[in-house]
Amino acid sequence: MNIANFFRNYFEKNGIGLGTFLLVAVVFWVVVLIILPQLSMLDFSFRHHLPPPEMGGPKDVYTLEHYEYLILGAPGADTSYNVVDLGVFGRTLMAAVFVTLLNLVICYPIAYYLAQTKGGGGYTRILVLLLIIPYWINEILRAFAFRIIFGDSGLINETLLVFGLIDNPVDFIRANVALYAGLGYAYILLMIFPIYNVIESLDRNQIEAARDMGASWTRIHWRVVIPYAKPGISSGCTMVFMLTAGALAAPQILGGPSSLWFTQIIYQWFNQGGNWPRGAAFAIVLLVTCVIIVLSMMRIFKVRMGDIGK
Amino acid sequence: MKSENFLLKFFLVAYLVVFFGYLLGPLLVMSVTAFNSPSFPKLTPWECLTFEWFDVLAQDERIITGLKNSLIVGFGTVILSVVMGLAGALMLTQIWPKMRATYYTIVIAPILIPGVVLGISTLVFWDRVSVMLGFGSGSFFQNGIFLTILGQSTFIASYCMLVFVARLQRFDTGLTEAALDLGASNAQAFRKILLPFMKPAIASAAVLAFLASFENYNTTTFTFGKFPTLTIELAQKVRYGIDPSISALAFIIICLTVIGALAHEVYRRRQQLALNNGAPLSAVTGSFQLPKFLRGNPAAIVLVLISLGGFTTIWFSQVYSPKECILDVREQKRILQDLRIQDIKRKRLEQQKATQGTQSTAPANSSTLPQSPNKGAFGGVFAPDNLNKETGKKAVPQSPGKGAFGGVFAPGNLDKTGPQDKKSD
Repeated sequence: MNIANFFRNYFEKNGIGLGTFLLVAVVFWVVVLIILPQLSMLDFSFRHHLPPPEMGGPKDVYTLEHYEYLILGAPGADTSYNVVDLGVFGRTLMAAVFVTLLNLVICYPIAYYLAQTKGGGGYTRILVLLLIIPYWINEILRAFAFRIIFGDSGLINETLLVFGLIDNPVDFIRANVALYAGLGYAYILLMIFPIYNVIESLDRNQIEAARDMGASWTRIHWRVVIPYAKPGISSGCTMVFMLTAGALAAPQILGGPSSLWFTQIIYQWFNQGGNWPRGAAFAIVLLVTCVIIVLSMMRIFKVRMGDIGK
Repeated sequence: MKSENFLLKFFLVAYLVVFFGYLLGPLLVMSVTAFNSPSFPKLTPWECLTFEWFDVLAQDERIITGLKNSLIVGFGTVILSVVMGLAGALMLTQIWPKMRATYYTIVIAPILIPGVVLGISTLVFWDRVSVMLGFGSGSFFQNGIFLTILGQSTFIASYCMLVFVARLQRFDTGLTEAALDLGASNAQAFRKILLPFMKPAIASAAVLAFLASFENYNTTTFTFGKFPTLTIELAQKVRYGIDPSISALAFIIICLTVIGALAHEVYRRRQQLALNNGAPLSAVTGSFQLPKFLRGNPAAIVLVLISLGGFTTIWFSQVYSPKECILDVREQKRILQDLRIQDIKRKRLEQQKATQGTQSTAPANSSTLPQSPNKGAFGGVFAPDNLNKETGKKAVPQSPGKGAFGGVFAPGNLDKTGPQDKKSD
């Protein structure tokens, strides 16, 4: 009843033509592009890996095979758990958390500074412009730049060698320094802007008041600015975490030979292993784990979904 | 008190410098390597100023085709995601209030879903649709461009929607109601009132969508099929062997970005200046007077300087030839290499004399020796007589290659899970 009313109102307000057009566009986006593909992937992940002629045949039944594989490894393997894949999975999540925290620490002062000096003349705008420019450069090229800098004969190694600080090139790629630097670099903007937007709306009198009352510089931030900026901080952290955990280009280009990223394993199942259902299962695990982590973080810090993306 | 302020300011400036150094330094370094002559992109040692990498880039078929595909995909994505984003934003203002939170969560989710997941789900879903409708392989639903446009639009539409929502918040619905009261039809009110109001947002959403589509890798890498975009081609190149023509491309993209950003800034500033002076907007957007335009507008000055510099560079690249310099450097390297080789030979001879009798340790020693040429900037790539050295020194010609890619991207490396794969099948 309510729904029928809603539709009547809706078409009265928009007219038949425009109303239908909007509805079709939104339904296409939400159902055909967002919901159905995800459901289809979920369904696919529970199926056996079959050659195309056998699809839909008697063998095409639901199975937990791929999830079992992720946890227990191949049947008959030496270890009772799939140490390799689970290890990569855990390491990816830990690294994503690390990169997120690093980004937060780096970006918070900049966001605060930019928000506080807003309206202080053109040069703040120039700084904002400088922030945005790297984000417009291709992701691959940004990673490539880090290869040039951190490579064996890269800028840093050459400089250190010239000054005689080291005797042999340091392998930054193997040590994953290049990877973390590149990942942190890639999503700086997504951390800065949500925080900047929130702090910008903070009434400066609050800071002044706290200072007049004798609060120290750290206390002002801890008790006034950070609580106020919480939605921005969590929004930025969520985006950076999800994007880092789901990053593929930077680990492929900057990752050390001994450290895979979980997305790379998914990529291998799709493009080299040719086992699509298993790749889909792994992708589901990644997605669900990331969502659980983000939602529990949001619950802990009491932030709503509506604050994301502001 | 004053000294504390001074200290704080000093730290602030230092932090800003370091931060923006981190942000812009890599781009700068990459741009400069496009003009250095060694075939591995590097800044040091500086050898010869060269423009040949731009020629190499212009003759790269795969890059050109990739660019074409990127433009097609970008065009499709812009149209689809702007339309869906606008519809999504309008729907948000009208939807049944109880549904609003759920709806918002669903349409914002694609931003947070990892790109690989979006790519995979798009691929799997349309593959199924194709099978269900009874099409064979290679049907329209498995076309790379079609899939890429859909996969990218899924999340780019969310970006667009955020832009539209921000603009819609400032929209006075009274305007539409007034138009309807005056007898306009719904479609007319939409076209004459709402669309013009949304125009700036549509423009910025379109630019955003195009840039996001152009640089997307994670989603596209699963959906591109037979139509690799520029980003995919770049990734292939970077993973399996890099040369400065990629730097040249990066340089071009960076220049375009900077010019675009500055042009936008100039435009915005002119508008603001005029508004501050109380001039009507049409007066500023219409006429174009150079001296006035430059006055008090640093962004414009920078823009003019950059374009001047660009023209000079292009002119210079036509007349300048680095051949002599390259030959020169090659000769120097050869001499240096010869000296090193003699040095190593002498050392080995001495060592062999010293460790005569204990033959088993000799090979181990010799393998550590060739590292010394590696210390030099150029690992001897160009030395012609590199290849006919004794076995012990084979590490020398190999080391630049290894150094460059660290062996990370050797195709064999990626097959680590290979054995397990076989077991499970």
